[in-house]
Amino acid sequence: MLGLAKGLGYTFKKLTEKKVTHFYPDVPFPMPPRFRGIQHFSPEKCIVCNQCARVCPTECIQLTGKPHPDPEKKGKIIDTYDINFEICILCDLCTEVCPTEAIVMTNNFELAVYSRDELYKDLKWLDDNNTNVREEN
Amino acid sequence: MSELLQQAPSLGNTLWFVLAAVVLLAVLLGFVTYAIYFERKVIGWMQLRIGPNRVGPLGLLQTVADVTKLLIKEDTRPKNADRALFTLAPILAYAPAFGVLAVMPFTESIQFADLGIGLLYYIALSGITVLGVITAGWASNNKYSLIGGLRSAAQMISYEVPLVMSVVGVVLLTGSMNLREIVEAQRDMWNIIPQFLGFVVFIIAAQAELNRTPFDLPEAESELVSGYHVEYSGFRFAMFMLAEYVYMFGMATLITVLFLGGWLPIIPQLDFIPGIIWFILKFSAYVFFQFWLRATMPRMRVDQLMSFAWKVLLPVALFNILLTAVVVSYQSGMF
Repeated sequence: MLGLAKGLGYTFKKLTEKKVTHFYPDVPFPMPPRFRGIQHFSPEKCIVCNQCARVCPTECIQLTGKPHPDPEKKGKIIDTYDINFEICILCDLCTEVCPTEAIVMTNNFELAVYSRDELYKDLKWLDDNNTNVREEN
Repeated sequence: MSELLQQAPSLGNTLWFVLAAVVLLAVLLGFVTYAIYFERKVIGWMQLRIGPNRVGPLGLLQTVADVTKLLIKEDTRPKNADRALFTLAPILAYAPAFGVLAVMPFTESIQFADLGIGLLYYIALSGITVLGVITAGWASNNKYSLIGGLRSAAQMISYEVPLVMSVVGVVLLTGSMNLREIVEAQRDMWNIIPQFLGFVVFIIAAQAELNRTPFDLPEAESELVSGYHVEYSGFRFAMFMLAEYVYMFGMATLITVLFLGGWLPIIPQLDFIPGIIWFILKFSAYVFFQFWLRATMPRMRVDQLMSFAWKVLLPVALFNILLTAVVVSYQSGMF
């Protein structure tokens, strides 16, 4: 019989205690520092080495380069850069392999859209995705 | 209301009856709506969650949304169900739940019918709901519903015995089955003190009668296919749920009237607060106790269920009757 009272007392105490619920959609949810979110891409750093596209396990990265506009300089600059987030698994390999840190991870993760077409993110979109960029890459 | 009942039937007073019933129904639906809301809130708080907070301000319209969803659902009926009985069962379960409220005295003046045997009326009528449950289980033509219905019926009938036995003490003490007289007899002391044993038995048996935790085996949402209403959906399912919560209203009213002194204040000095406020306070305390219990208790084991009713509750209730009878006859100078 004492156990019943004890249990009731315990739940009653919990009534006023602080709730553990996160107010996620209303309040942004802070992710841990090593979180693998949507990539941020800086076209000026890219040397078009193609390593990210090659290392990608799902082959979701497509990129094309073009010759440098300044004829004195060697190498290429990036022309188009697309990531297909339908199949991207956010595995972090592209950012690990990138020699110039042109592609880095951010803490953003909200990818839900109404149409599958919207999941093809292009260079501009990835460039603008420059909030919550991860500190260490 | 009572004067209207004495009059010869006419169109005028029939309209009044209908109006009164509709008002009671509206109060009841309001209660059910917010009982469900507060149940979810209180259980949420006790589990360190915040409960419904999306639909409307503070989630106040959550139940409204849920019920609307139920009402606009397709009316499904199993192909081989017994059509007439399948339709009848929810009505059979709900009608007595509403009917018992006719004799409930909410205050000195708010009462629909002042029956001399109000208590007996409540107990007799509430027994009919078991029929609705069995009918639902059988008419669904589904073995799970049938087993669930029988399990439900077995529990409800078994626990009705100690429930009735525990109120006999109150009847002996008052010398009346009229609910209004029972309340008036509690002017000096609420029945919860002299009838404490009866009160404990009543509260446990009431819990089983309402199919609520820790006696919610007939529904046991986490371990069984829910029982007698497996095949029901939409409007008919809403009827069963409504019956359940209206019974909670009825049981809370009954416990307030029988043991907690109805509309009487705690001490006579607080008489200036209207009776209805006192009634609502006591009523809400019992309803809150139900939610509290649900957040605390695990479900009872099925093999302990029947033996608990017959081997523990019934003897205790009988002992309470004996004790009350001895005390009452001693007070009236029999020995």
